[in-house]
Amino acid sequence: MPFREINSKVVEATVAPGQRMFSQRGAMLAYRGDVTFTPNTAGGQGGVMAMLGRRAAGEAAPLMTVEGEGTVLFGHGGHHVQVIRLAGDTLYVEADRLLAFDGSLEQGTMFMGAQGGVMGMVRGQVTGQGLFTTTLKGHGAVAVMAHGGVLELPVTPERPVHVDPQAYVAHHGDVRNRLSTALGWRDMVGRGSGEAFQLELSGSGAVYVQASEEKL
Amino acid sequence: MPRVRIPPAELSSPPPAGYRRPVATFRLQGSKVLAVDVTGDAVRAKNGSMVAYEGRMAFKKMSGGGEGLRGMVTRRLTGEQMEVMEVRGQGTCYFADRASDVTVLALHGDKLCVEASNLLCSDGGLRTGTTFTGLRGGAGGTGLFTTTVEGSGQVAITSDGPAVVLRVTPRYPLSVDPGAYVAHQGDLRQSFQSGVTFRTLLGEGGGEAFQIRFEGDGLVYVQPSERNTVGGDV
Repeated sequence: MPFREINSKVVEATVAPGQRMFSQRGAMLAYRGDVTFTPNTAGGQGGVMAMLGRRAAGEAAPLMTVEGEGTVLFGHGGHHVQVIRLAGDTLYVEADRLLAFDGSLEQGTMFMGAQGGVMGMVRGQVTGQGLFTTTLKGHGAVAVMAHGGVLELPVTPERPVHVDPQAYVAHHGDVRNRLSTALGWRDMVGRGSGEAFQLELSGSGAVYVQASEEKL
Repeated sequence: MPRVRIPPAELSSPPPAGYRRPVATFRLQGSKVLAVDVTGDAVRAKNGSMVAYEGRMAFKKMSGGGEGLRGMVTRRLTGEQMEVMEVRGQGTCYFADRASDVTVLALHGDKLCVEASNLLCSDGGLRTGTTFTGLRGGAGGTGLFTTTVEGSGQVAITSDGPAVVLRVTPRYPLSVDPGAYVAHQGDLRQSFQSGVTFRTLLGEGGGEAFQIRFEGDGLVYVQPSERNTVGGDV
């Protein structure tokens, strides 16, 4: 596995010849060996339409390619880093939360409307996730940033999990998400409990939640 | 329905099989997330502090600072407006607040004084109120009033960094920095002391011009961080 957690906020990645790695631009803290960093403007695969989509949605995180031989330390903004290992399944994550990931993972952009139609778009807007989200698929590891540590909650068909949209970090597996509203007359008169919108995740997989309600 | 009083040893251990305790159980999930198992009963939590839940939950806004009309008047007058919600349901609810560290403590009929902003969650059976703190609040940068929690049950408080619990006995009084003070419980008297000398007036102070002194018998919770206070500047 290329990622090793140094402490809760720094990860060490091993780069070998022929193995690429992507990381958020400017997230390198230190490196050993012969490593080169090249900015990639195209950012991922998926053709011209996907690129236009990312541009339009602001889901184009400035990434850089890390190549060579050696070890690199990554960290950003003092945020906690969680390493998520993927074994063939898909991880859904916001682009600005990605710290670094294996080059072998297939990168893509998902249109929120593709899952749930109009409600999916409404959900993206309400939760501040935007209309697009990044997907990573394949075998490899991903380092994801979160404010104040990450809690992994398993999602099973019998046990759906409800998450505060502001505390949501990422999810993987075969999980459907749906915006559930608990809007009552109290919210209308400004006496809401602050928990009017929740993401309901059902299916089988896992959801990652941060210990804070602040976006990155 | 009378509330079952739980001995302290049982609070931390899981309930025996087949026995449904009428009180919610608090446990820490890491140092920054509080998990509360509720079985039909209610807990009170800071508004908007839920990060996730399993099962069925209902959230309803309540008003802190005591119940009824008297509570409302107190809130208006003191400005100690705690934004509280009542969480009721079946399942597990996770709470966190701006990545601050969480401490779970148990009350057995005694009183906890805590800043409203540091109170994350409390058992539904506990009474909350507002008291006057005098000069301490003014110097601590947290206002002149504070929240009190009374009764028997569990309370979760937040602090910037892991909270340190310091015991106060009649023989060993304790002085704390107002900016680092989080909460105290037990039978404690507090007094305000100042170390202002002529050097302070000349602008040569050590940054520790004021302290709160606790005397009596109880526990004081201190955070490894200081809020901006008047005392810290002089």
